[in-house]
Amino acid sequence: MAVVAGRFSPEDSRAVQPSDAVRVYPSEVALLETRGLTKRYGTIVTALDSLSISLEPGIIGLVGANGAGKSTLIKILLGLLEPTSGSATVLGLDAATEGPELRQFVGYMPEHDCLPNDVSATEFVAHMAQVNGLPRSAARERTAETLRHVGLFEERYREIRGYSTGMKQRVKLAQALVHDPRVMFLDEPTNGLDPAGRDEMLDLVRRTGKEFGIAIIMASHLLGEIERVCEHLVVIDGGKLLRSAPIGEFTERTQVLAVEVEGEAAEFVGRLRGRGLKVVEEGRLLLIGIEDDAVYNQIRDTVADLGLGLIRIEQRRQNLEDLFRSPTQEAQDAATV
Amino acid sequence: MPPRSEGAGSIYDLGYRRYDGLRLGRRHSVLSLYLYTVRWAFGLGRRTSSKIIPVAISIIAFIPALIQLGVAALANDVEIIKPENYYSYVQVSVALFCAAVSPELVARDQRTRTLSLYFSRALLRRDYALAKLAALTTALLFLTLLPQVVLFVGNMLSTKDTSAFLRENWGQVPRIVGSGLLIAGLMASLSVAIACQTSRRSYATVAVIAVFLVSTPLANIFVREAGGLGNFAILFSPFDLLGGTTYWVFDVTPGSDSIVSIADLPMLIYPIVTLSFIAIATAVVLRRYERIAA
Repeated sequence: MAVVAGRFSPEDSRAVQPSDAVRVYPSEVALLETRGLTKRYGTIVTALDSLSISLEPGIIGLVGANGAGKSTLIKILLGLLEPTSGSATVLGLDAATEGPELRQFVGYMPEHDCLPNDVSATEFVAHMAQVNGLPRSAARERTAETLRHVGLFEERYREIRGYSTGMKQRVKLAQALVHDPRVMFLDEPTNGLDPAGRDEMLDLVRRTGKEFGIAIIMASHLLGEIERVCEHLVVIDGGKLLRSAPIGEFTERTQVLAVEVEGEAAEFVGRLRGRGLKVVEEGRLLLIGIEDDAVYNQIRDTVADLGLGLIRIEQRRQNLEDLFRSPTQEAQDAATV
Repeated sequence: MPPRSEGAGSIYDLGYRRYDGLRLGRRHSVLSLYLYTVRWAFGLGRRTSSKIIPVAISIIAFIPALIQLGVAALANDVEIIKPENYYSYVQVSVALFCAAVSPELVARDQRTRTLSLYFSRALLRRDYALAKLAALTTALLFLTLLPQVVLFVGNMLSTKDTSAFLRENWGQVPRIVGSGLLIAGLMASLSVAIACQTSRRSYATVAVIAVFLVSTPLANIFVREAGGLGNFAILFSPFDLLGGTTYWVFDVTPGSDSIVSIADLPMLIYPIVTLSFIAIATAVVLRRYERIAA
């Protein structure tokens, strides 16, 4: 493979010793980049709607409700689907036209079942490694290592048909990892797992990303999982990019104060509104918009005037769940707060 | 070695390393899939029950060659099974092999949805399709070509004058290879074109066997009863089409009771139609894999 200036090239990374925990990417090359990516099925369904995004390597969560376009995006990035319009590059290679070259460095764990029943995990994963370009001996060696890494031991010589869901998920992860990809796409990796299996899988994903520096794009509709594993979050909804930011920004403090008082709140609310503050009642909590710093004093003074007990006053943190509140509800909140 | 973290979970740390070795790319990818599929066709690397049918059918294809060699060993110069007739002895074996194996090769990956794993690797959809076609063709050569090679070599060894035998029969070699390739190519491409339309192995098996076995009596009826334009029906029966092609390859005149004689079409039409069907079936397979969801 030729080394082209400004593009990702395996030779560049081969210079990096295996012991380096973090891969070095040419800084000018994004992990992936899409421009105006659109996918329509027929004339009615728009799975992706001119999605433009640029991501740096890391553990990236791809969240969205079911049908938001997560799987479609992953499939386009892998070259499994052709976009209706727009373009996508991964590791600096065009997903549509440089597929075979690119996919040597990409691992994919689909959401659905994808394993044959009538071969052993060892046989299957070694075959998959060879189909990704690894020489036979290297494929065998890495299969053994990778299956151990995902926690499959003696059972790897048995036919897959006898495996539990947890073991199958591990084989699916192993086949995505066996050729040592630069980036892995994991589509709902904890699908069908029990809580313990979930924990193990997430731990495995996190460590594969952190310790070996493999960039990971993990699609999930479970925010708890994303919060535990990912460093960066991409939110898509209805095929559109809602937000792409480090996970910390999603849990930032908002411009809303949560206040709880002891005693008769109605009078308190009336006084505050009288002072021109926007107040929303949410159960025992009063949500008050922070217009400027004076609001703290106004609340304190009002509480003192009425002789109420102030139980708490805190700036609200944004919650990942807020992302999925319906637009109408959001608009309502915006109007009332 | 990678940095190891201490603690309870370190059981997973046994051995994962980064890989900085060779990555051989698309060509190697396709070749691996091809070799794996050829092995798969005979059930190699799988449980014993998967080997029984393909291996048994392959053995049956060798029986005519072994009979001839046995006869020739007892009585010299008795040739009851000639190369140009060999196909007619193995056609049913070849068809059964196709019906049993082609769904294993193509319907299975659709059923288990393994296609998404293949298509997300270092090959193109058409590479996958062509590797599967080539693999079945290769597997069929074990039934169409290898017995004839055994027969040829056996005949050669049983004659007193080997060099005279070679001088006399050398011309047969390209014909044996050519007919073996055409038979394997047509049977493989037709059965893959049929079998890849479904993810259900049983449906695929029935469809493949039906096309091969039902078309022959139908063509017979058209040729023997209707004649005229009905004679062209022979071209739509793979067995008879390949029979005609084999006669053309070996440049022999079929017996007067043969359906090829009765249809009385120009002999050149057989290889041309055979090659056309191979091309059409291959196009059907490629088209199917371009469109199939993965």
